[in-house]
Amino acid sequence: MYDKTVRRRRAALLIFVALSIGLLTVYFGEPASGGLHAIQRGAQEVLAPIEEGASRAFKPFRDLINWTGDVFDAKSENKDLKDEVAQLREDLAQAQTAEREAEQLRGLAGLPKDELFPQGTEPVTARVIARSPTSWQSSVQIDKGKSAGIEVDMPVIAHGGDGGGGLAGKVTSVSGGTATVTLITDESSAVSAQVMPDGAAGIVKPTVGDPSDMLLDFIEKGRPVSKDTTVITSGSRSDRFESLFPRGIPIGRVTEVDAEERELYQRVHIEPFADLKRMDFVQVLTERGEEQAQVLLP
Amino acid sequence: MIPGPASVLRVGLMILAGVVIQIACLVQIQVLGGTVDIMPLVVAAVALYAGSVPGAATGFFTGLLADLALGGNLGASSLVLTAVGYAVGRYREQRDPAHGLTPIPVAAAATGGYVLAYAAVSFMLSIDAPVSLLVVREMFMTVVLNALIALPFFALARRLLRPALLVEPGPRGRRDSAISSGPIGLRGLEV
Repeated sequence: MYDKTVRRRRAALLIFVALSIGLLTVYFGEPASGGLHAIQRGAQEVLAPIEEGASRAFKPFRDLINWTGDVFDAKSENKDLKDEVAQLREDLAQAQTAEREAEQLRGLAGLPKDELFPQGTEPVTARVIARSPTSWQSSVQIDKGKSAGIEVDMPVIAHGGDGGGGLAGKVTSVSGGTATVTLITDESSAVSAQVMPDGAAGIVKPTVGDPSDMLLDFIEKGRPVSKDTTVITSGSRSDRFESLFPRGIPIGRVTEVDAEERELYQRVHIEPFADLKRMDFVQVLTERGEEQAQVLLP
Repeated sequence: MIPGPASVLRVGLMILAGVVIQIACLVQIQVLGGTVDIMPLVVAAVALYAGSVPGAATGFFTGLLADLALGGNLGASSLVLTAVGYAVGRYREQRDPAHGLTPIPVAAAATGGYVLAYAAVSFMLSIDAPVSLLVVREMFMTVVLNALIALPFFALARRLLRPALLVEPGPRGRRDSAISSGPIGLRGLEV
C-alpha cells in the first residue's frame, strides 16, 4: 500500500514536470503562428473580460493603497476626524483616479503633436488590463486587438510621469479584442536609437529589475553625448536588431555617460519618458507615419 | 485517483481568482519596492492542507493559467510552481506541522523558492540584458510581504478547502502523526 502511494506520488510529479518541460520545449520550438501560441491567444481572449472587470473593480482599492502609501508619512490627523478623513480618502482616491486617467489621456493625445514625433501614425488608445507579475518578463495586456486595427510589431507609446511620454514597447501578440505589449524594459527588448541633437546612434537595452534605468549601448567613444539630451527612435534597420519603430518617437533622457578606457563603445544611461510602472492607458501606432523634418540630422 | 468535482471546482476557482487578482490588481501595488504575489501562496496553501499530489497539480495549473493569461513562456511558471507545490506537500506529509504559525515559514519558503527558481529558469531561457540589483530587493520584499499576509491568506484558503479535504487541517498539538494519520488529499485524490 505504502509503495503504491509512493509510486503514485512520484508518477504525478513526473507527469507534471514532464508536461511543463514539454510545453516549454514545444513553445520555444514553434513559430508565433504555432498551436501553443494560438491556444495562448485564445486563452487571453477568454480571460480578457475577466481581467478587465477585475482591473476596473480593484482600481479604487489599488489607488487607495498606493495613495495611502505615498502620503502615509506626511499625515497626522486628529483622532476625532479619522472617520471623516477615511471617507475623504475614499472620495479623494476616486477623484485622483479620474484625474490621473484624464491626465494620461491628455498626455497621450498631445504626444503625437510633438515636433519630433512622426506624423500620420493613426494612434489607437487602449486601456491596460493586466501586467506581468515578474521583472523577468515585462509585458502588459491591453483591451484593444485585431478588431481595432492592431497588429503584431506595432509600436506602443505611453504617457510619462512628468507630463510628457514616449515609447513604451511593441505589440507581440494580438487576438480579436486584446493584445499583448512587450515593454522596452523586457529583457528581450532592443531598440535602435539616436541622441538628439548630437546624432550618436546606438541600441537601447533594458536593465532587468530597474525600469527607470536603461542603457544606450554601442555608441562609439568619438561621438560626444551630453547629459539631459533626448533619445529618440532612429528608425534604422540592421542585421542584428531590426527597428520596427518609425523614426522620431521619444524614448528617454540621458542621465549618465560611462566611458571606460578599454572599451570601444561608451555606455549611456537613460531614463525612459514613459511611466511604465503606472500607466493605465497606452496608444498603439497603427500606421508607420512620416518623420518630421526636424529629426533629419546633418 | 480522479478528484471529485467539488474538489476540482473549489481548487479551480481558487486558482482562477488567485491569478486574476494577481495580474489585474496586486502587481500594481508597490510596497517598499516589492509586490505581494499570491500565486505561490495559493499553491502552498493547497499543498499544505491537501498534500503533495494536489499541491503539484495546483502548481502546474496555476502556472499554466498565468502563462496563458500573460503570454509568458508557456511551461516556465508551471515547472516552478509544480516543484513548489510538491515540496510543500511533502513537507506536510513528512512533518505534519501542527503549529498555528506554520503558514508564515511555509509562505516565505514557498515564495522564496518560487522567485529564485523562476529567476533561474528565466536565466536559462536566455536572459540577455544586464540585471539590476533592484531585482533582488524586489524578490526579497515579495517574500517578506507574502510572509506577512500568510496567516489570513492560509486561514481563508483552509476555509475554502475544508469541505473538499480528507483530513481536517489545523493545530492538533502533536507532531508525530505523519504516518498514522491516514490518507490525506482532496476527496477523490487520496495520498
